[in-house]
Amino acid sequence: MVRAMEKYIRTGVKATPFCPGCGHGILMNSILRALDELNMDMKKMLFVSGIGCAAWIPSPHFNGDTLHTLHGRALAFATGAKLYNPDLCVMVISGDGDLSSIGGNHLIHAARRNLDLKVVCANNMIYGMTGGQVASTTPKGFKSSTTGEGNPHRPFDLCKLVAAAGATYVARYSVTQPLALIQALKKAIRHVGFSFIEVLSPCPTQFGRRNLMDRPEEMIQDLLRRCISEEEAEGLAEKELSEKIITGEFEP
Amino acid sequence: MSEMRQVRLSGFGGQGIVLAGLLLGQAGVMEGKYVTGSNSYGAQARGSGCKSEIVFSDHPIHYPHLIIADILVAMSQGAYQTYDEEVKESGIILYDRGRVVPNMELNVKQLGVSATEISLKKLKNKQVANIVMLGALVETTGIVSPRAIRKAIALHIPKRFQALNLKAFHKGMELGKQINA
Amino acid sequence: MISRWIKSPFPKGVYYFSGNEAAAEGAIAAGCRFYAGYPITPSSEIMERMAVRLKEVGGIFIQMEDEIASISAIIGASWAGAKAMTATSGPGFSLMQESIGYAAFTETPCVIIDVQRAGPCTGQATRVGSGDIMQAKWGSHGDYQVIALSPWSVQEMYDLTLRGFNLSERYRVPTLVMSDEAIGHLRENLSIHSKVEIWDRKKKRGRPPFGTEEEGGVPPMPAFGEGERLLVTGSTHDAFGFRKTDDPEVHSRLVDRINQKILRNRTEITETEDYYLEDSERAMIAYGFTARTSLYVVHQLRKEGRKIGMLRLKTLWPFPEEAVTTLGKRVKKVIVPEMNLGQVAGEVKKFCACEVISLHQTNGEVIGPETIMEMLKKI
Repeated sequence: MVRAMEKYIRTGVKATPFCPGCGHGILMNSILRALDELNMDMKKMLFVSGIGCAAWIPSPHFNGDTLHTLHGRALAFATGAKLYNPDLCVMVISGDGDLSSIGGNHLIHAARRNLDLKVVCANNMIYGMTGGQVASTTPKGFKSSTTGEGNPHRPFDLCKLVAAAGATYVARYSVTQPLALIQALKKAIRHVGFSFIEVLSPCPTQFGRRNLMDRPEEMIQDLLRRCISEEEAEGLAEKELSEKIITGEFEP
Repeated sequence: MSEMRQVRLSGFGGQGIVLAGLLLGQAGVMEGKYVTGSNSYGAQARGSGCKSEIVFSDHPIHYPHLIIADILVAMSQGAYQTYDEEVKESGIILYDRGRVVPNMELNVKQLGVSATEISLKKLKNKQVANIVMLGALVETTGIVSPRAIRKAIALHIPKRFQALNLKAFHKGMELGKQINA
Repeated sequence: MISRWIKSPFPKGVYYFSGNEAAAEGAIAAGCRFYAGYPITPSSEIMERMAVRLKEVGGIFIQMEDEIASISAIIGASWAGAKAMTATSGPGFSLMQESIGYAAFTETPCVIIDVQRAGPCTGQATRVGSGDIMQAKWGSHGDYQVIALSPWSVQEMYDLTLRGFNLSERYRVPTLVMSDEAIGHLRENLSIHSKVEIWDRKKKRGRPPFGTEEEGGVPPMPAFGEGERLLVTGSTHDAFGFRKTDDPEVHSRLVDRINQKILRNRTEITETEDYYLEDSERAMIAYGFTARTSLYVVHQLRKEGRKIGMLRLKTLWPFPEEAVTTLGKRVKKVIVPEMNLGQVAGEVKKFCACEVISLHQTNGEVIGPETIMEMLKKI
């Protein structure tokens, strides 16, 4: 972490707990830069997270109020805190399994209510902390510790899901697109209503090594190659498109 | 505990049995009595068997449910047949004439009240048969005062229906006077 | 920490309320300003009244997507500074268990009313039971404490919900009001006085929110947004909230403390009532609705000159073991009637030296006087 961001880090916190090659450090940095560029008051920031690697991005590292909750329930806890104290800027930072699988019901209902919550979903397409089991976001055919022959099921398109449920700011970026990601985070923070940013974050430890991307840079290269904008996607053949991940803003 | 009086109102869902019980219990509390009230009904909101039981006493009530009725009100044949034998010998049964064919062999005072008929014909509204019956009940048994019932109606009935309900209550009292005479 | 007296938010008077309505009014009187819930028979009237009343007193009401969300939202609101509550019944109470453990471990004040119905499972949704008593104590995993109260009247639905909030704030512990369908739906006289005594959580800037040197002590609890940069987690944590997930000493100290702060204050928390126990040879131990039936029977038998009495448990958890132990030394037989297969009887057996007879019924109906009379005759 660069020195400039140090004031946002809780006293006593030394290193992050993330594995080498994990994308969550880049995401952490991007969130703090967005907060810094908007000159946000950390005393009015509440960071809520669930269970999993991404839930450790704010807790204990961020120097605001942090609420590290139960698996899947971050949005429900956040809803209570925000409703009772609307002066808080409430940001929910958690993983794909936490927010969209065990917490899927809370996700669609929070989006439907359009309550002013800023949701950052770190999507590594796998259950990282528990040992690399298949997730609701694992692409079809990819391997995990519970799908040795490849995932037989389709993944969620999280952005389409929350947009359909009523979220009013929706974007997807990869940690390989940090500048665009910071801009999106700033928009989400300024937006009044339910905002959702899906952030693709590589997990070489659990996802990469099972899917022929053992080395961190291979996962970064893969994201760089696959992430394209909506404009770039236009005119691509279906087969070509099926390998790509479309990034950008989808709502409003 | 001779001062204890136990009332069972019975019929089917949609007849306003629970509302009549609420007004009766509320009136008792307004008069300074100790009252307990409990209802039971089937899972569906309309049509299944329904009862409302109210216990009145001058002292705190230990067991809050009805043990044996001093007064039974039956608004349907089914309700009458279910509860007609669970009335004290000194008690009284009021049944909705036209809906209930009474068993005259019972060794209990029984009064027929044309509650549904009056509600339909005189008040042009089948929804207030319960309140007509309540009027007859108050007149014939003196369980609570008419004044307390009027106060309870003012508290619990939406404004736009209050006049109708008061009218129904007074019709019921008139009816009570006639049949008790 | 001291209590204060405030003007009752509801006008002084005698009302004809249902137990569920009274519970909502007790919560409002206690200062509850946040409610999150999900519909379930036979508790829904509490939520319906809270929706109306919170609007009138400037509080927040939300109907959530399920019971897990409901209890999670009240814990979030509690950390934002609210006195918060939810209400439910058996199936919803089961769903809430993980979050109840979270509230106990993070020392979050909150009140949960369980209007018990006939279980297990969906069981008889509109019928009465008291099968959740052990679940109230042991429903979430790990070793923790809650406070559980048992109202026997409409008046106590008000009084004990109010007291539940006060205890929850004082001891920073989830407090459960273990009501049942018969009390929740019963209508009865409810007296509301002009003033009510309320307790608030204590605050102290800069002090650790999850630790105290005082034995049986309760640490102060700041709220989000007060500049304390709180670190709240359901993982094992030190006094300032830092996760310590592989330090055996931190873990055992924390588990011990959240248990001891309730157990050491047991005499302050638990309440019981004695009826005719001075010369009784036999005694009933009863709680909730069944204590009403039991007292009725005891009165009848006293008229016949029988030496029988009753101990009523107003608090179920922590278990009033001193009162039960004393009774067990004084009488020859203890009879425990309840609407489950002997959940509290089992607990009574742990502390009573004399013979303990469990008298149980699980048919979805209240235990009536005749049933108890007949069972007593057989003994």
